[in-house]
Amino acid sequence: MQDHKKYKIRDSKLISICKDAAFRINKHKVDEFEVFAASSVENEIEIFKEKIETLSFSDSIGVGIRIFKDRSIGYAYTTVLEESSIEDCIRKAVSNCKITSREDYNYLPREEEFVFKQKLIDDRSLYREDFLEYDIESKVELAKKLEILTKSKDARIVDIDNVIYHDSIYETAILNSAGFCDKYKTTTCLIYVSAISKKEGDTSTGDFFGCGRTPADLDLEEVAQKAASRSVSILGGEKIKSQRADLLLDQVVSAQLLGIIAGSITADSVQKRKSLFEGKIGQKIFSIDVNIFDDGTIPDGLSSRPFDGEGVIKGKTCVFEKGYLKTYLYNTYTARKDKTRSTGNAVRASYRSTPEVGISNFYMEPSDIDFSKLLGDIDRGFYIIDIIGLHSGVNPISGQMSMGAKGIWIENGSLKQPVKEVTIATDILSFCKSIKKVGNDLKFIPVGGYVGSPSLLVRDITISGK
Amino acid sequence: MIENRLTKKILNILLGNGADFSEIFIQKRVFNNIRLEDSKIENSSSGYELGCGLRLWVGDSTFYAYVDSLEEGKLLNAAKVLSSAINGSNSLKVLDLTETKSSYGTDIKKFPDQIQPADKKNILELIDRSSRDFSPAIIQVTSTLSDAEEEIYIANSYGAFSFEKMVKTFLAVNVVAKKGKEIRTGYKSLARSSGYEAFDFKRPGDLAREASGIAVNMLDAVGAPAGELPVVIGPAFGGVIFHEACGHGLEADAVLKNASVFKDKVGKKIASDIVTAIDDSTLEYRWGSYKFDGEGFPSSRTVLIKDGILQNYIYDLRTSKKLGAKQTGNGRRQSFRNVPLARMSNTFIDGGDENPDSIIKSVNKGIYAREFAGGQVDPATGDFVFGISEGYLIENGKISFPIKDTTIIGNGPDVLKRIEAVGNNLDFAPGFCGKNDQLISNEVGQPTIKVDKITVGGIKD
Repeated sequence: MQDHKKYKIRDSKLISICKDAAFRINKHKVDEFEVFAASSVENEIEIFKEKIETLSFSDSIGVGIRIFKDRSIGYAYTTVLEESSIEDCIRKAVSNCKITSREDYNYLPREEEFVFKQKLIDDRSLYREDFLEYDIESKVELAKKLEILTKSKDARIVDIDNVIYHDSIYETAILNSAGFCDKYKTTTCLIYVSAISKKEGDTSTGDFFGCGRTPADLDLEEVAQKAASRSVSILGGEKIKSQRADLLLDQVVSAQLLGIIAGSITADSVQKRKSLFEGKIGQKIFSIDVNIFDDGTIPDGLSSRPFDGEGVIKGKTCVFEKGYLKTYLYNTYTARKDKTRSTGNAVRASYRSTPEVGISNFYMEPSDIDFSKLLGDIDRGFYIIDIIGLHSGVNPISGQMSMGAKGIWIENGSLKQPVKEVTIATDILSFCKSIKKVGNDLKFIPVGGYVGSPSLLVRDITISGK
Repeated sequence: MIENRLTKKILNILLGNGADFSEIFIQKRVFNNIRLEDSKIENSSSGYELGCGLRLWVGDSTFYAYVDSLEEGKLLNAAKVLSSAINGSNSLKVLDLTETKSSYGTDIKKFPDQIQPADKKNILELIDRSSRDFSPAIIQVTSTLSDAEEEIYIANSYGAFSFEKMVKTFLAVNVVAKKGKEIRTGYKSLARSSGYEAFDFKRPGDLAREASGIAVNMLDAVGAPAGELPVVIGPAFGGVIFHEACGHGLEADAVLKNASVFKDKVGKKIASDIVTAIDDSTLEYRWGSYKFDGEGFPSSRTVLIKDGILQNYIYDLRTSKKLGAKQTGNGRRQSFRNVPLARMSNTFIDGGDENPDSIIKSVNKGIYAREFAGGQVDPATGDFVFGISEGYLIENGKISFPIKDTTIIGNGPDVLKRIEAVGNNLDFAPGFCGKNDQLISNEVGQPTIKVDKITVGGIKD
C-alpha cells in the first residue's frame, strides 16, 4: 500500500472563499450577512478478523450563507464552490428571508456585546502537527492491534464485531459584515471496539472507545480492557424481580444522562417552554453540592473552540453551582431576548445548518471519592454498566425517564451476579435530587458535544424486571 | 449526469491495480427546509450538494473515497489515488455499459420547485393553528417541512448503470401540552417519496390534530405498571418493534459478522405460525421506496418470514457475494459520502385475520402500546428496548387509563414466538433509521398484534 499522507491543509483558503462570497453578497440588497466555510479531511478504517473491511477517504468542503434583511434571516448552503453555485446560494438565502418572521433581535453579534474580547484558548492545543505523521498504514495497524488486544483479554470473547478508527482534520472560518473574520482548525481521532462474548448459550456484547487529538492519545490497552470487561461481566445476566434499589452509574452511563440534561438548559428550549428548567434559575436542583460547567477552553477537550458558531469568544460557564441552577446557555439571539450576554454557545453541526444553542465541553466536577467507596456505600443496589434506549426512553420535555439497563447486582458493598433485561424509571428532576454521591473518576464521551461525568451513586430508583 | 466515456474511464482506473470490482455513484441534491416554532417561521434554508463516491473491492476489503464535485480532473485524480491504495491480482476491464431496468416508477405531480414559498409557509401556519385550536393546553408547536429533489447515477464494473430522479417530501409536527405541572408531548410525521401531492394523501391539519390528541390525552396519564404483562401493540408505527428487534438482525452484515441471533436460521421456525414479515421497496410512493437501491439494483419485495419460518435475509451486493446468496436490492446509503450497507426499506408484519377490537377484548390486564418514541436493539443478542409515547392500560378487555411514557424491554426472537394474535388492519408509518452513522428513510408497518408478555418499565407494581 502506498503512503496516503496527503492532507490538504487549506488554512487561508477558507478565508478567501469567505471573502469572495462576501464580495458577491455586497452586490445584493441586504442589511447584514455572514459566511461560514468549513472543510474536513477524514479517514475511516474498519477492521474485521485482522483485515481491512472498509477504508474510506473523504475530503469535503461547503459554504453556508446567512442573510439578514429587514430583521428576517434566510439561509442557504452549497458544496459546489463554482461562481454560479455561490451566486445561486446567495439568491436562495436572500429569497428565504422573505418568509421567515421578523424579529427585533435578528442582527449579527456586536463587539460591545462580547463578554470576552480576547481568545481564551491557544489554537495550537486544538490542532496537533504530529497528527500528520501518521500514515494510513500505521492507523490500520492501530485498529488491528486493538482487535487482537481486545480478543486476548478474555477467553469468553468469541468475536470482535466492530473495530473502527476514525480521524479528521476540521477547518472552519467565519466572516461577517459586522467585522468578524477568523478561523481555526482541529485534529481529532477516535477508536472504537465492540466485543461479543459467549458462555453456556448466553451471548453478551460490550463496547468502548478512546478519543483524542492525535493517535498517540489513544490508550489501546484501556479501550480493549474496558470493552472486554463490559462484555464478559454481564454474561449470564438474568432478570431480577421488580423493586426499588440504589443505583451506581458507570461514568459513561452518567455522562449519557448528563447529555440529556444539557439539552434542557439551553436558553432556546427554555424560551420555547420546552425545558424542565424553565423558571428555575436560583433554585436547588441537585440535593448535594454538584457543580456543572460548560467550558470551551479545556486544552484537551474535544469540543474546545476559540469562538462559537457565530463568532462569539467562548469561555467557561458555571451552569450549576453547589446544586443551584445559575444560568442557561445562550447564543446571541436568545441572550438578547433574556437581556443578557451570549455564553458563546452558538453551535453549528456543519455548514448545512444555522447556529443553534448547544454545549461545548459540558461536565460535572469530580469529587475525591473513589469508586470503591461509592460501591461500599450500597447495601442493596444495581451497578449499571450500560443503558439502552436512552433517546426513546427519556423525554427531556416532560422529564419522564424509563430505559433498559444492564449491569451487576450489588449486595453489602460488593458486586454479585450479572443482571440484564430490566428497566429503570424515574423523572429527570427526581433523578437530579436522587444523586447522593459523586465519584472522582471524570470521563468524557463525544456525544453531541463533549460530555463528562464521574461515577454517580443514586438512591432509591424503581427497577422493573420479573 | 456524466458521459459514458468518462464513466468507463473512471471504472477502469479503479480496476487498474487489480481490483475485483469498481463503482461510481453520483448524486445531485437540492434541498429545502422550513421550520415553524413559537407560531413563527424561524428558519428557512436551502442546500445544494453534488458529488461522487468511488468504491472498489479487493479480496474482502472495500476502499472508498468521494469528491464534492463532478469536474473531470478531480474525478480522475480521486480514482487514481484510490486505486493506488491497493495491489490486487485481477485484470478486469469495463467495455460496455447497459442500463438497468426497474419495474418501479412514479409519476410526480407537484414538484417542490413549483411550490411557492408562501404556500409552504401556509402549510406550517395551518399546522400551528390546527394544533392550538385543538386544545388550549397546547403551549408549543414545532413543525418542519422539507423537500428534496435528487438525481442519482450509478455505474459499476459489471457494465451496468442506472439513473433515477427522486422527489421526497416530509412534514413533522411536535406539540407540547401542559396542565398544572404535567407536561406531555405528541409527535406525528408524514413522509412520502413524492412531491407536494403528499398532502392529498394526508391533510396537514389532520396530522396536527393527531399529534395534539396524543399530547392532550397523555396529560391525564397515570404511572405505568412495572413487570411482565401482555402487550397489545398498535398498527402502523408499532411495526418499529419488528424493525428494530428483528429486522436489524436479518440484515446480512450482522449475519456475516456472527452478530445476529438469526444466523443459520433460514428454513427454521423463528416466530409463531401466524407471523409473516416482508421487506418491500416497491410500495408506491412510500418513504422507504425507490427505483434502484444505492448500488443500482432494482427495488424488490422480499419475504423475510412466512408462517413463522425464516425465508431470507436482507442483502446488499457485498454481503450477498460473501454469503453466496442473491442480493435483494437493499444496498442503501445516506449519500455519495457513504458506502452502501444492507438496510431495510419498507419492512412490515403482514396483515392477519383477527379483528383488532377482539384482540384488545382478549386481554384481562395488560398494556396497549399505540405510539413509540423509538427504540434500540443489540442485533447480536436480540435484546431491545422501546419507549412507549402513547400507551394505555387494558383492564378487563377494555382500554382504560393512559399511562406515562414508559419503556418495554425484551428479546426479539423471544417476542416473535410470543405473538399470539395478528390483526387484519395492516398500516404503515414513516421514519428514519440510523446505522453506522448513516441515516436513511424507512417505513415500518404492522396490524394490531398481541404479545403474551413483555417487561414493562413503569414505576407502579
